[in-house]
Amino acid sequence: MNNALCITDPGIGFYTQWIILALMGLSTWLVLLTGRVSLGQQAYFGIGAYAAAVVTVMFNGSLILALLVAWLIGVIFSAIISRLLQKLNGLQFALATLAIAELVRLGLSSWTWRSTHAKGYEVGPDGVHGFREIRWLFENQMGPETYLSLSACILLSALFLIWKISQTKLGLSIQSVGFDSELASVQGEPVAGLQTLTQTFAGGVGALAGALYAHQATYIEPAVFDVMLGIHAVGYAMLGGLATPLGPLLGAAFDLGLLEAARIFEGWRMVIFGGLVALFLRWRPGGLLNHAALSQIKHFFIQRRKPDEHSKFA
Amino acid sequence: MLEIEEIACSYGKIEALRKVSLKANPNAVTCLLGPNGAGKTTLMMSLAGILKPTHGSIKFEGQNLIGLTPSQIVQRGLALVPENRLVFPALTVRENLMAGAYLRKDKPGIANDIEQQLHRFPRLRERIDQLAGTLSGGEQQMLAVGRALMSRPRLLMMDEPSVGLAPKVVAEIFGIIQKLHHEGTTIFLVEQNVHMATKVAQHFYLLQQGRVTFSGTPDQLAGDDLVKRAYLAGQSATA
Amino acid sequence: MLDLLQRTLEGLLEAGPYALIGLGLTISFGVLRRINLAFGATALLAAYVGSWLHVRWGVPPLGVWVAVIVITVMVGFYVEWMCFDIADDSVMAMRRQSSVALGLDAREASVLAASFALWMQIEQVAVNFQPNHLHPFPDLSSKLNFDWGGIDLRPDRILVFLLTSGLIAGLSIWLKHSQLGLGIRALSSSQAAAQVCGLNVLRLRYIGTAVSCVLCGLASCAVLSMDGQVTPMFGMWVLLKGLTCALLGGLGSVRGVLGGAVLLGITEAHAQSLWGPIGRDAATWGLLLLALVVQTRPLKHPFFMQRRFE
Repeated sequence: MNNALCITDPGIGFYTQWIILALMGLSTWLVLLTGRVSLGQQAYFGIGAYAAAVVTVMFNGSLILALLVAWLIGVIFSAIISRLLQKLNGLQFALATLAIAELVRLGLSSWTWRSTHAKGYEVGPDGVHGFREIRWLFENQMGPETYLSLSACILLSALFLIWKISQTKLGLSIQSVGFDSELASVQGEPVAGLQTLTQTFAGGVGALAGALYAHQATYIEPAVFDVMLGIHAVGYAMLGGLATPLGPLLGAAFDLGLLEAARIFEGWRMVIFGGLVALFLRWRPGGLLNHAALSQIKHFFIQRRKPDEHSKFA
Repeated sequence: MLEIEEIACSYGKIEALRKVSLKANPNAVTCLLGPNGAGKTTLMMSLAGILKPTHGSIKFEGQNLIGLTPSQIVQRGLALVPENRLVFPALTVRENLMAGAYLRKDKPGIANDIEQQLHRFPRLRERIDQLAGTLSGGEQQMLAVGRALMSRPRLLMMDEPSVGLAPKVVAEIFGIIQKLHHEGTTIFLVEQNVHMATKVAQHFYLLQQGRVTFSGTPDQLAGDDLVKRAYLAGQSATA
Repeated sequence: MLDLLQRTLEGLLEAGPYALIGLGLTISFGVLRRINLAFGATALLAAYVGSWLHVRWGVPPLGVWVAVIVITVMVGFYVEWMCFDIADDSVMAMRRQSSVALGLDAREASVLAASFALWMQIEQVAVNFQPNHLHPFPDLSSKLNFDWGGIDLRPDRILVFLLTSGLIAGLSIWLKHSQLGLGIRALSSSQAAAQVCGLNVLRLRYIGTAVSCVLCGLASCAVLSMDGQVTPMFGMWVLLKGLTCALLGGLGSVRGVLGGAVLLGITEAHAQSLWGPIGRDAATWGLLLLALVVQTRPLKHPFFMQRRFE
C-alpha cells in the first residue's frame, strides 16, 4: 500500500498526514474550480517532495527555504503545463495530466544524483530506489508538534488566501469559468488566463504538500507518486464537496480517519473508498459539502442568529 | 385523438406545467402558443416520454402514454420534430432518415418512404450523402421533419419549427406543414410565431406560466382582448 | 540495418492486440462519449478469474477465454451502471442549442472521476482475489519462430495481427451497414436525437458496452496467451495501450485505431531497445501526450463533423 496514504504514526503525525493529504485534495479541488479535472496533481506532489529533499539534504538548506523552493518549482512547472494544455478540452486535459504525471514519475525513476553526506553516507535521489535520509527534522530537533503547527499554518494560509480571493471579483470570475467556460468567455472573462492562474496556484499547493510529506516520511520513492495518489486527491475533493475548500479536508478526514483507522477495512479500503466516490458522483455529484448543503448550513446559522436579534430590541 | 388532462410537470421545485388540459383532433393542426418560459417545450417533452409528468393523464387514441419510454411512444404512432432540429450531425442525410425508421422492419417500405421524403424535400436529395451537421438551419429543419415522418406517425408533434430560421425559410416550412395537413396528417404544433401559425392551424391554445389561458379558433384568438394584451401586444394575429 | 527491421516488424506485430484494446475503448467512447478509465482494471479482474479457473479447476484454454470475456462484460456493465448514468444530456441538449450545455463539463468531470475511482476499486478486488504477483495463464504461444532472411518472427503474433485486421474490417462493415450499427452510430452522434427517434438508448448503450468489453476480453486473452502469465500491472498496461492507440487513431475512428496501434508498437519496440523498459513506458505516455496536444480535431464534438466509426 502506498505510504502517503497509510497511517504511519497513530499520534500527532496522523494529523500532519491528514493536513498533507488535505493539501493534495485542495490542489485538485482548485483545478476542479475551473471546470477541469486533473488526474495528475501527484506530479507536483512528487516534484515538491524531491525539490525540498534536495535543498535540505544535498545543500543543507533550511526547511523554510526547502518549502519555498518546492513551492516555486511547483508553480513554475504547473504554469508551463497549464499553458501547454490550455487548448485541450475537458477530457483531453484530464488524460494529458495523467500522462504528464506518469512521465514525471518515470523521470524521477530514472533520476540519479548521489553525493556523500557530511556524516559519510550516500544521499540523493537514486532512481527507482528513491531518496532516503531526509532527516532535517531529526537533525534540527523539530518535534512532531512543531511540525504539525507548521503544516497547519501552511494549510490555514492556503485556505485564508482562497477565501479572501473568493470574496473578490477575481474569485467570482474563476467560479464563473468553472460553471460554464463558454458563457464566461462571452461575458468577457479571460478564461484561459484564469484557468492558468488557478492551476498554477494549485500546482504550488501540491508541491508544498509533497515537501511536507518528504520531511515527515524521511524517505520518498517514485512509486509513491502514482495514479493511486491522484485518485485519492480527486476523491477527496469530490467526496468532501466542491462548494467549499473545506471539502477536500473533509474527504481526507473521511478516508484517513475512518477507512484507514478502522482495521476492519484492512485490505478493502480502496474497494470501499473507490465505490463511495463513484456512488457519490452518481447520486450527489457535488459531494458532501455541495452548494445546497452549504446554503442549508448558512441558512441554519442565520436562522439561529435571528431570535437573538429580536430579543435585543424586546 | 390526443387528450391531455390536467398534467403537471416540475423541474425540481419549479412547476413548469400546472394542470394543463388540451386536445388535438384528428386530421387537424392544433397549435399551442406561448411566450418564452411558458412551458411549451416541457409539454412536448412530456408527450415524447422524455419527461415524466407528476400528475394528470395523456391519452392517445384511448391509450395512456404516461410511463411509456420514448421508444414505446414512437411505436404508438407519435413522432416529435424537436426544438432546434436535433439532427444526427455525424450521420448523413440518408442515415438520418433511416434512423427515423429505426423501429420499422419493412425494408422496401423504408426505401419507398426515403424516396418520398426526398421528393417532398428536393434540397435533401441534393445533399443525400452529406453530413447533417453541415446543412443549413432550414435544411436541417426539413431533415428533422422528414426523419419524423419516416416512422409513419399518426400524430406529428412539431416544437417551434420556425425558431432561428430566415423568414423565407419559415414560409417554406409552414408551406410544408400545410401540405402535410392536406395529406391528412394530424399535427400538434408549438409556436411563438402567431402570424404564421394562424395560416395553418384550426385550433389554438395559449399557454402562460404553465397554464392554459385560452382555447379557441383563429378568429376567437384575434378577437380576444385579453389574449391580445397579454400575448399579442397589439399585433394583429391575422395580418 | 537488419536489427532495425527486426525491431520494426516486431513492433508492427505488437499492434494486433493493441488495436483490439484500442478498438474496445473507441467503441466505448463512440457510444458513450466518455473515456472509461476502469477499462484496464476490468481486464485485470477478468484475467485473474481466468487464471484461477485454469490453475485451480484445470479449465481448458477455450473455457478460460470464454470466462474472461464473460467476466469482462459483466464488470463492464457494473462500471456502465455506476458511472455513466450520471450524465444524461438528453433533456439539456434539447433545451440549449450550444454544444456545451450548462454544467456539461461538470458532469463529464464527474463521470471521468467516477470511472477513475472504480479503476482502483476493481483493481483492489482483483489483487485481493489473487494476491500473488505472477499468475499462470493458458500458454498458447508459438515455440518456433519463422525465419525470413535473418528476421525472426513469431507466427502467433502474425496470426493475431491478421485476425485483428480482419476483425476491424468486419466491425467497420457491421457498423456501417447493419441496423444495430446505425443505432450505435446514431446514439454516438446525439443521444437526445436518438431518444426522440425512438431508439432504445439504454439497450444500445449496454450493447455498445458489451461489444467494447468483448473486444477487450479477446485482446486480453490474445496477449496473455502469448505471455503465459498475468501480473498486477496488466490493468494499467491495457488502459495505457488502449488509450494511446485510440487517441492516436483519432478517437472514434475504427480504421484509425489500427494505424495508431502500428505507430505505438513500432515506437515502443525502438524505445525499448534504446532506453529499456522505463524508456519504453515513457515513450508510450509521451506518444499519448503528443496525440492529445497536437490533435487538430476535438475528442468529442458532434457538430464538428467528426465521422464516428469510419
